[in-house]
Amino acid sequence: MRDNLGMRRLMRWCAVLCIVLLPQFSWAAETSSANEQAQRQTTQPGNNAPVWRDVRGGDNLYQTTQVRGIETDVLVQSGGETWRQIRNGPITVYGGWLLVVITLLIGLFYGVKGQIKLHDKPTGRLMQRFTPWDRVVHWSTAISFMILALTGMVTLFGKYILLPVFGYTLFSWLAILSKNLHNFVGPLFAVCTVLLFFTFVRDNIPKAHDWLWMKKAGGLLSGEHVPSDRFNAGEKIWFWFGVTLLGIVASITGFILDFANFGQGRLLMQQANVIHGIAAVLFVPMALAHIYIGTLGTEGSYTSMRTGSVDETWAKEHHEYWYNDAKTRQGHAPGGAPSAAVAAAMKEGWK
Amino acid sequence: MARMKFLCDAERCIECNGCVTACKQEHDIPWGVNRRRVVTLNDGVPGEKSISVACMHCSDAPCMAVCPVDCFYQTSEGVVLHDKDLCIGCGYCFYACPFGAPQFPQDGAFGLRGKMDKCTFCAGGPEADNSAAEFKKYGRNRLAEGKLPACAEMCATKALLGGDSDVISDIYRNRVLKRGKGSEVWGWGTAYGKPEKQPAAQPGAKS
Repeated sequence: MRDNLGMRRLMRWCAVLCIVLLPQFSWAAETSSANEQAQRQTTQPGNNAPVWRDVRGGDNLYQTTQVRGIETDVLVQSGGETWRQIRNGPITVYGGWLLVVITLLIGLFYGVKGQIKLHDKPTGRLMQRFTPWDRVVHWSTAISFMILALTGMVTLFGKYILLPVFGYTLFSWLAILSKNLHNFVGPLFAVCTVLLFFTFVRDNIPKAHDWLWMKKAGGLLSGEHVPSDRFNAGEKIWFWFGVTLLGIVASITGFILDFANFGQGRLLMQQANVIHGIAAVLFVPMALAHIYIGTLGTEGSYTSMRTGSVDETWAKEHHEYWYNDAKTRQGHAPGGAPSAAVAAAMKEGWK
Repeated sequence: MARMKFLCDAERCIECNGCVTACKQEHDIPWGVNRRRVVTLNDGVPGEKSISVACMHCSDAPCMAVCPVDCFYQTSEGVVLHDKDLCIGCGYCFYACPFGAPQFPQDGAFGLRGKMDKCTFCAGGPEADNSAAEFKKYGRNRLAEGKLPACAEMCATKALLGGDSDVISDIYRNRVLKRGKGSEVWGWGTAYGKPEKQPAAQPGAKS
C-alpha cells in the first residue's frame, strides 16, 4: 500500500515535470493553427488564442518583417520568461545556497577532522608524481577555472551580494571586467579541459579496487588506510563527472553563448544558459572539495602538484598501488630484462 | 501620473515602416540597430495583419529582472529606461525580452556586443534632459519637450498610438465600437468554457 502511494507520488511528479518542462522547451511543436483557429471560432467567436499561440510559436512561414537581423520576424518570444524564471529562481537561489552549504560543510570537516597528516616519518626520498607537462596542463586548467568560477559568480550573484556593497558604478566596472575575462578565458579553459582529459585519462580508468575505496569513503572519516592507484576513486569521480562531463557541458554551452555572431536564436541561447548555469553551480562545489583535499585537507598533496614530487612515505600512505608499481618499475635494470627477484626483494624490504 | 504605453491597431497598420524610419531619424541611430520594427502576420495570405513593435515598457519588465548590474529603471510614467554607463553588454536582457527590443551595435563574437540600445519611449536616459550627452547615448528626449514618441506622432494611419494609457485606450476602444469588430483583441465577450453550455437559469451558481 505504501509502495503504491510512493509510486503514485513519483508518477505525479513525473507528470508535473512533463507539464512544466514540455511547453517550455518545445514551443516549436505548435501545429496548424489555422485549423485550430477555425475550430475555435465555431464554439467561441472572437477568441483569437490559437492565432496568438502561433505568433508566439514563431515558426509561421508567413510571418515577415523588413528589418534585417536574427529572428526579427518573431513578434513574441515566450522562452525568455521561462529562462528568467529558471535563472533568477532555482539556479540563483538553490545554486547559491548549495555553494554556501558546501563551503560550510568543508569548513566543518576541517574543524572536526583537521588535516590528514602523514603517519610515518618522511623518508626524504622523493618520487616523481607529476611530470612538468602534467603540471602545466593542471595549473592552466585550474587557473582558468578559478577565473571563470569567480567571474561567473560575479555575474550570477553579484547583483545581490556585491552591488549593495560596491555601489552601481564600481560594481559595473567589476562586472565588465568579469564579463570580458569570462568570455575570453572560457575558450582557453575548453582547450585546457581537452588537454587535461587526454593527459590524465589513462590513470583514471576505474578499477575493481576503486569500489573498495568508495565503500570505505577513502578512509576520510574512519582514518583507515585504503590503498589506491595513482588516482583514488574520489579523484576519478572528480575526473569523470567534474572535469570531463561538467567541463564539456559547460564548454559547449559556453561557446553557444560566447559567439552570438554565428546567428543562433534566442531559444538556443536561453537553453544553453540554463544548462551552463546548472553545470556551473555543480562544478564549483566539486572543485571546492577538490581544492580543499588538494591543499588544506591533506599534508603534502599541494606540494605534489606544485613541484611534481612526493615523498615515498606520502606515496605509500596515499597511493599504495601506484607506489608499488613505481617501485617495481624502478627495480628493472635499464635496458635489461626485468628482474622479478630483485623487485620482490625490494618490495619485501619496504614492508 | 500617466502610465505611458504603445498600442498598435492592426486594422490600420499598412506596413509602411514610417515608424521605423521616424525612430532612426529622430535618434540618429547607428546602422544595424532597430529600436522598432514592423512584423507582418500571415504575409501574402488574405487578411494579413501588420503590427509595429518595439520596447513595450512592461510593468514587470523581464530585462530589469535579469540584468546582472541592475542598470534598468522605470520612470514614474512607466517608461523602462537603462543606464548605458552601467551596461556591460552581456545580452541577458535580449534573452529575456519577449519582443526582441534590446539591440546591440556589435555582432557578439567573444560576447562583445557593445552597450545595449533600445526604444526609450523618446524619454532619453539618466543624463540631464536634452543634454548633448543624453542625445548621443539615447537619442532625443521628446517627453521632456512635452512631445509624444516620434514613431506614433509620425504614423500616417494613426495605427501606432503612444502616450497616456487611459487616453490611447479610449481612442482605440472608440475605434473598436465604431467599426464593430476587433473586440477580440481585448478578449471582450470571451470567457472560459463554451458559451452554449453555460447554465442561463442559475446566475452566479457554480458550474
